[in-house]
Amino acid sequence: MTWDTPRDHRTPGRGSGLVAVAETAGDPDGRRGAVPAPPSRRRSPSALGAAVVTVLVALHVLAWQGTGFSPAELVRGWHGMADFVGEAIPPDLSWPVLGSGIRAALVTLYIGLLGTTFSVPFALVLAVLGARTTTPNRWVYQAARSLLSFLRAVPDVVFALIFVTAVGLGPFAGVLALIFHNTGVMGKLWSEAMEEIDLGPRDALRTNGAGGVQVVAHAILPAVVPQFIGLLLYRFDVNVRSSLVLGLVGAGGIGFLVNQSIKLFRFDQMATHLLIVLVLVIGVDLLSAAVRRRIAM
Amino acid sequence: MSVSPGRSAGGTAVADRPSPEAVPSLSITGLRKSFPGRTVLAGLDLRIPASGLVVLLGANGSGKSTALRCVVGLEQPDGGSIRLHGEEIVGLSGRELARRRSRAAMIFQKIHLVQRRTVLDNVCAGALGRLPLRHSLVSALFPRELRDEAMECLHRVGLADRAGDTVGRLSGGQQQRVAIARALCQRADVVLADEPVAALDPAAATQVLELLSDLARGQGLAVAAVLHQPELARRYADRVVGLARGRLAFDTAPAHLSDRDLDDLYAAGEGAS
Repeated sequence: MTWDTPRDHRTPGRGSGLVAVAETAGDPDGRRGAVPAPPSRRRSPSALGAAVVTVLVALHVLAWQGTGFSPAELVRGWHGMADFVGEAIPPDLSWPVLGSGIRAALVTLYIGLLGTTFSVPFALVLAVLGARTTTPNRWVYQAARSLLSFLRAVPDVVFALIFVTAVGLGPFAGVLALIFHNTGVMGKLWSEAMEEIDLGPRDALRTNGAGGVQVVAHAILPAVVPQFIGLLLYRFDVNVRSSLVLGLVGAGGIGFLVNQSIKLFRFDQMATHLLIVLVLVIGVDLLSAAVRRRIAM
Repeated sequence: MSVSPGRSAGGTAVADRPSPEAVPSLSITGLRKSFPGRTVLAGLDLRIPASGLVVLLGANGSGKSTALRCVVGLEQPDGGSIRLHGEEIVGLSGRELARRRSRAAMIFQKIHLVQRRTVLDNVCAGALGRLPLRHSLVSALFPRELRDEAMECLHRVGLADRAGDTVGRLSGGQQQRVAIARALCQRADVVLADEPVAALDPAAATQVLELLSDLARGQGLAVAAVLHQPELARRYADRVVGLARGRLAFDTAPAHLSDRDLDDLYAAGEGAS
């Protein structure tokens, strides 16, 4: 029993109730001693931490040099941008420009929609085969993962350039490009969602004698439907924006018009098209956010 | 009485068994299972008679759950024998194993229903093992007769009126009864329950145990339930089996279950851990 704890110094005399309680409660089993100090939160910086910081700083210096990053150059060249903006304002809001822009924006939306929807079956199959919780065996898992990685690693613009050589310039090449790239991305996101769920229902159905496909259909998919739809909408959002870029390489849509107006130095028309893009992107974003909120409830 | 390690309770067990000649629904002999670094089952012997509620007691790590999980195939035993209705299932695989095993169903502490689906769909899922894929790819394809059978199973657990609700809207005790209905829809006559009431409040626990004991006595199912409350075992069990260090410690009628048996049982667990 120690008597030099702070509390004992503060209590005035032995007659006080507090001390009496402390004595009777603490003495019999002798547990009441000095309270151990909390473990120290301060740790000296480790050699590993210092090394990581040094490497990160060095990388940023290299990147600065490698990209020719120069704020001074940006300040010197400000009038070039000012001229550009000056020519773009006011935008050309005449009906021929506006009308063709809106029609092209619809095509962009269609490319994003078909590219997303048609990738669903492929993404679903590859996600099921490439998730540790649902894959039939290790080899199938590795094969599915590799295919997903490949599809994800090749940018949709590269796929578009490839398909343009097959089906010619136009929106169809854009849809094909998005199907391929989006299968890779969505398949990976979905398979990760399936790896994170509670595996109890899966085990329960296995003990019922259910087969692999039945387990996926009745235990795994019902549990991940909300995440799947959320990710699908997020990808639709991204794909509509990607299809703009695809237009720049000849896959139709409003990206094509933006590219064309820049080449013709009609920056006022370009500004109109960019405004339409802004409306489109904000609209899709609001829609997908609203639907995702509904699902979460 | 099986070849249990010599314990005082063993002597009384023979006299209490209702029909010693009957083939047990589940018979485990010399079951062994090790995980890296520890042996969980060290030659377990266990008989579950063709009807009645057998309660398994034992400290954590004594092998109760692992034994049940070996029976339904969630763990692979290292050795020994598991017979369901006299038919060996250890060492078997494929269709024949699935057929023999289909008569045993498992109830889990964490219930493991699909929360977002309806009660009826969850009960129907118990029949997946005998449904071809064209009748089971999505729940809309479940045949009419299966839905009727599932309603009958729900009626037996007293929840037919909740068939259309999603499982998430039910209380824990109701969900556990739905899980029992799923086992019934599997047409299992051996029901293994791994701590079925550990996550339930006392009233719900009573309901679930009364249901299990009614199914066991009134409707002739073989039920084996792992419990952690000896008083519930005394109240509901037809037999009480104690496991310690992966072996059978005693197998006795609840009336003969002494406090000393229990003290020894849980002390053995502390010694092991």
